[in-house]
This record gives sequence, structure tokens and C-alpha cells, in this order.
Amino acid sequence: MEAENGISRGKAIVKSGKLIRVDAIFRDGKIEKIKITGDFFLHPEDKIEELENSLEGREITQVKNIAQEVLKDAEYVGISAETIADAVREAWKNRR
Amino acid sequence: MKLRVIFDTKHRAAWNMGLDESLLMHLDKIGPTLRFYGWEPPAVSIGYFQSMEEEVDIHKAHEMGVDLVRRITGGGAVYHKYELTYSIVIPPPPGKILSSYRFVERGIVEALKSLGIEAEMSGINDIVVSGRKISGNAQTRKYGGMLQHGTILMDVDVDEMFSLLKVPQEKMRDKIVKSVKERVTSLHHLGVDVEFDELQKIMAEGFGKALDAELYEDELPKEVLSKAKELEVEKYGSREWNFKR
Repeated sequence: MEAENGISRGKAIVKSGKLIRVDAIFRDGKIEKIKITGDFFLHPEDKIEELENSLEGREITQVKNIAQEVLKDAEYVGISAETIADAVREAWKNRR
Repeated sequence: MKLRVIFDTKHRAAWNMGLDESLLMHLDKIGPTLRFYGWEPPAVSIGYFQSMEEEVDIHKAHEMGVDLVRRITGGGAVYHKYELTYSIVIPPPPGKILSSYRFVERGIVEALKSLGIEAEMSGINDIVVSGRKISGNAQTRKYGGMLQHGTILMDVDVDEMFSLLKVPQEKMRDKIVKSVKERVTSLHHLGVDVEFDELQKIMAEGFGKALDAELYEDELPKEVLSKAKELEVEKYGSREWNFKR
């Protein structure tokens, strides 16, 4: 599954009323780069970039807590800390 | 509340999005403003969080001469052709952002009622007739103001729409298209054929009534239009913005 240099890429689609797509690069078991896209609503919108930046360099098991922290004052529909964590776990499973 | 109404024509996607953002930026100067417009050529707009490459068959869009633009607001991809679009900028109403979507959507429900159509709000951002979607809406808060824009489907061609839009699982395409056909409707499908210009007037009345607003028409200050032009060229017409995600 994983390349010898420890780098892999995983994608996932999670349905949550809306659709969340995660496209992530993993390195040595950590998230190196992540893009979260979809037709959800999140206010303020730039929380998504903040979230992506906060997840980079972190382990998959930390995703839910980090997302909860970033989204704590935000309003959202079709996305949540739980669904983001699910999507990242799914992307990890799908890595190649 | 006094509400400025702009009965606009059909424009390029980048101009439409540039003007909507410029209206929001100038809310203090122009006051609450409601604009109606269309899209020429037809366009696909994607939500702020979406990826153009994931949502749209870009080659096909170029082939069909369809504009592509990414919105400042969230939500899904929309094919803008047989529809009337509105945008409204107002000071943010108190309370939760998500509940304020409905504050504006009441205007559409009211207008549809005057056309003899019983519609209701569904979820946060849809308006449905007998469970079928006829209007989608999206909002953002910026520059101290609130912008909401949305569509009223005058007609719909789901096959044409899906010749441009990608689906999450290509294997499921037929099923997805069939399901969308069952879940959307339009004024035409409901037996209401009304001209674009006339529908603008009917919608304006609906918004006026629902928002308890006194409508007036006035030209936009030059600086609003010049900012819109700048946004059209530098933001919404740029690959950097449209393909950012």
C-alpha cells in the first residue's frame, strides 16, 4: 500500500446530507497535505483553510479534536468534526 | 426598511459574481439592495468549498460555451440557464446565520404564492413544491453585511445539466440523474410560463411583502460598478480564484 519513502495519497467521499471529499497526502502516518471540498455550508467560509492548515503535520487520531477546536464558533451544515474525522480515516484506508 | 431594486438583464458569470460582491462591499453606501439577473452565456457556478475539476466537465463546458465561476458562497454546483437569479444585500439580521437563510427565502415563497404555487422551505437552503426543489439559496457574511443569492427555476433540463456536471460515482450516473429528475421541478413544469422580466417584478413584490420593505428603483453609484468590473476581471474571471480548491 504505502510507498517506500512513507508518502501516500488517499481520497474519500463521505455523505452527510451534503457531500464531503477529502484528498490527503500522508507522510509517515501523519497528514502532510489535505484538501476538504464539498457542497456543505460553513460560516465563516475561511474556516476551511484554517482547518486544513491546522490538520497538516498532525496524526489521524487528532483530526476530530482539532476540527472541534477550529469549528467551535462556526456555523455549519453538512460538515462537522465527526464527518471530517470519518472522511480522513476513510482516505487513510484508501491510500496508495 | 427601504429596499433598492435592480431589474437587471443577463450577464457573464464573472460580472454577475463581481457585482454581487461589490453590492455587499458597498452596503453602507447603497443601502439594502435586491437585484434580479440572468446568465448569458449559460454558466455553471460552484460553491466556495467545491473544486471545479471535481464538479465540472471543463472540456465539455468550453465546448458548449458555458461560463465557469466559483461563488463566494457555499453549497453545490448550479447550472444557470433556464432561471431567474436574485441577490440581496442587507444588514445581518440578529440570531443564527443558518436561520437567517429563511428570513430571505420567505420572499420567494411569497412570490410563488402569488403565482398560485404553494411552496415551502426545506433544509436551510432549498425551496420545494410538493417535495421537489424549485429554488436553491446560499449566503455569506462579509464587510459587515449579509449577501444571499439564489435561483428560481423557470425550466430545467436535467440531462443537459448532467452533460456538464460530474457525479461522485460514474458507475451510478444513470441512477443519480434519474433521482435528480424526480427531485426537481420548475415553473414551466408546474404549468406557469412567465417571462423573465415579468418574473422579476413578481419576485420583487414577494420580497417586498415578506421583508415588509418599501421598494424603490435607483441607479447604482459608479464606484459600485467599477468595483464590480475590477472583481469581474481580477477575481471571478481568474483561474486562481475559480480553480483554487
